[in-house]
Amino acid sequence: MDFAIETVDLVKRYPTTARRGRGDHFHLGPARIGRVESFTGMLKIIKGIKGPFIEALRGVNIKIKKGEIFGVLGPNGAGKTTLIKILCTLVIHDEGEAYVNGFDVKKEPNQVLKNLQAVLPESRGFNWRLTGRQNLEFYALLYGLNEKDAKERIDYLLNFTGLTDRADDFYQRYSTGMQRKLLLCRSLLRNTPILLFDEPTVGLDPTSAAEFRDLLHKKLAHEEKKTILLSTHNLFEAQNICNRIAILDRGKITACDTPNNIRYLMFDERVFNIAFIDAVYDGEQRKMINELEEIGGVHGVTPEIDPDGNFHELSIRIDKNMDLTSILEIVMKSGLKIRTINTKEPTLEDAFMAITRQHVEPQQDFEGFRQR
Amino acid sequence: MEIPIELKQIIAFTKRDFYSWTTYKTVVITQIINVFIGVFSWGVTATYVNKPVSQMYGTGTNYISFLIVGIAIGNLIMPLVQGVHSQLNPWTIETILMTGVSTPVFVIGNVMWTYIFSTVTFIPYLLIGIYVFHVSLNANIVSVIIAFAISAGILVGLAMLSTGLMIVTKSMDPITWVINVLSNIFAGVSFPVIYLDTIFFPGVSTISWFLPQTWVYHLCRLSMLTNPSLLDLQVLIEFLKGSVFAVILLPLGYKVFRWGVARSKREGTLGWY
Repeated sequence: MDFAIETVDLVKRYPTTARRGRGDHFHLGPARIGRVESFTGMLKIIKGIKGPFIEALRGVNIKIKKGEIFGVLGPNGAGKTTLIKILCTLVIHDEGEAYVNGFDVKKEPNQVLKNLQAVLPESRGFNWRLTGRQNLEFYALLYGLNEKDAKERIDYLLNFTGLTDRADDFYQRYSTGMQRKLLLCRSLLRNTPILLFDEPTVGLDPTSAAEFRDLLHKKLAHEEKKTILLSTHNLFEAQNICNRIAILDRGKITACDTPNNIRYLMFDERVFNIAFIDAVYDGEQRKMINELEEIGGVHGVTPEIDPDGNFHELSIRIDKNMDLTSILEIVMKSGLKIRTINTKEPTLEDAFMAITRQHVEPQQDFEGFRQR
Repeated sequence: MEIPIELKQIIAFTKRDFYSWTTYKTVVITQIINVFIGVFSWGVTATYVNKPVSQMYGTGTNYISFLIVGIAIGNLIMPLVQGVHSQLNPWTIETILMTGVSTPVFVIGNVMWTYIFSTVTFIPYLLIGIYVFHVSLNANIVSVIIAFAISAGILVGLAMLSTGLMIVTKSMDPITWVINVLSNIFAGVSFPVIYLDTIFFPGVSTISWFLPQTWVYHLCRLSMLTNPSLLDLQVLIEFLKGSVFAVILLPLGYKVFRWGVARSKREGTLGWY
């Protein structure tokens, strides 16, 4: 199967002036500054190959299908921006391979840029003294569009993002949300099949953020069938619009699956809650609880009883894939009136926290590199 | 006939910078006033100094012509070196490089508006020089065009060299800084370089001929003040010497620029300044 984006054992090291790692976050290479052992060694120093380094990506493997919205989640410094910048040819990786629609990002950067555009909030590149339309006209020409096509495309995109009314205002008069939309217009000028977004809703108010998410999800993914790679801190955003998610932690992919599957990746159980109306805790209820505890897949049953003996709720910890029928049959048999039934599922945030906290850095990775 | 995309892209850069420039109305007015103030102040000074320049450019010219042409050339060509620097910032370089434009388009596009503006201001310099200070121009159009082309080659080469180093060092690059400092003294902006031998010690003017800017001033003055024919072997040799700098600096600057971008990409510092 052809993938829109594919990376194979992608490694990126950044030079640093730090000589020793700080905690588990940094992988440092050999500190050789000031020692020139040979002419080729000197050349390597000039080229920036030797010297202490931080490993930002440590063997990243991802495969993104065409038409998919793929989210990359990770804490600060996890390597999300590095991954995106490698894919859009702004950073050159040290080891491994990366392909965009089959084109090698290192060997065929011009082909890659014809297939992919990125929205990087920190690199606006707009001239503040030009209007939104003039800025887009400038980039349309750099992308190689002829004037007629450029005009049509710009009109379409301004309308698409709802900026038509303000298109002839100076860029400096745009709000943050409008600036973000103009960035989106620019990335869509070339009509590439793949779009990369780095923290697209950071700095936006909740309404603008929701509007932007809608634009990505409904218009770009569903209507225009774009492949979208989205890097974000926003777990709500990832859970709601991504088909699949990868969790990138300290330069490694620690989980990659659908948001629903990732939620259960770290948890073997969920909680099933049943609230009752006018129930009193007595010997019958105790018997019911004993019966529930004997069902296979039930890990524990906790009743909520007040000091007056009123039986309000039952919390049952069960296997994540358990069929609830047998539990409901026992509860119904007891004759209690049920107010509500719900299951408390683990959230993506629960999973994210569990995944990013459990990881312990193996020291041999760095040692292994040092010996190579 | 369809205009090549590279040319359209250079025009796009130029239009962007022109539109942006026109929005700074105070800057526009002060830049125009500066043209007049500059030429008058230098002209008045030159009237009193009036050193002979016959040793370098023959008896057909004088110091005021030498100086005003030099100042005009300085204003016409020197902004080429600064044009790319002024556009380098973390917000634009990554975005522009992501469009896939080639290195020559990036460099030429970013200096074109500055160069066009300098050309426009070049004319009042010469007109004021001619009608107020009686500058005697004795230009050979073919030589002027070739001298300007060689000069542009030298300075675009220097601009790329300097930009490539700046992308890596993130500050003033040491090589072009040294060249510029030496040029202020040795390139002969306001006096013929052979006078350096009189001011300092004999033979010191030799340094001047190793500086690319000296050749920019020398070839432009030669072509505008002495009506030189390129069929004259001595003139041709002067032009060939100057073009050696362009031939070396253009590919060297291109290589250094590409190296600077590639190194920044490897180090992940392209957007840093």
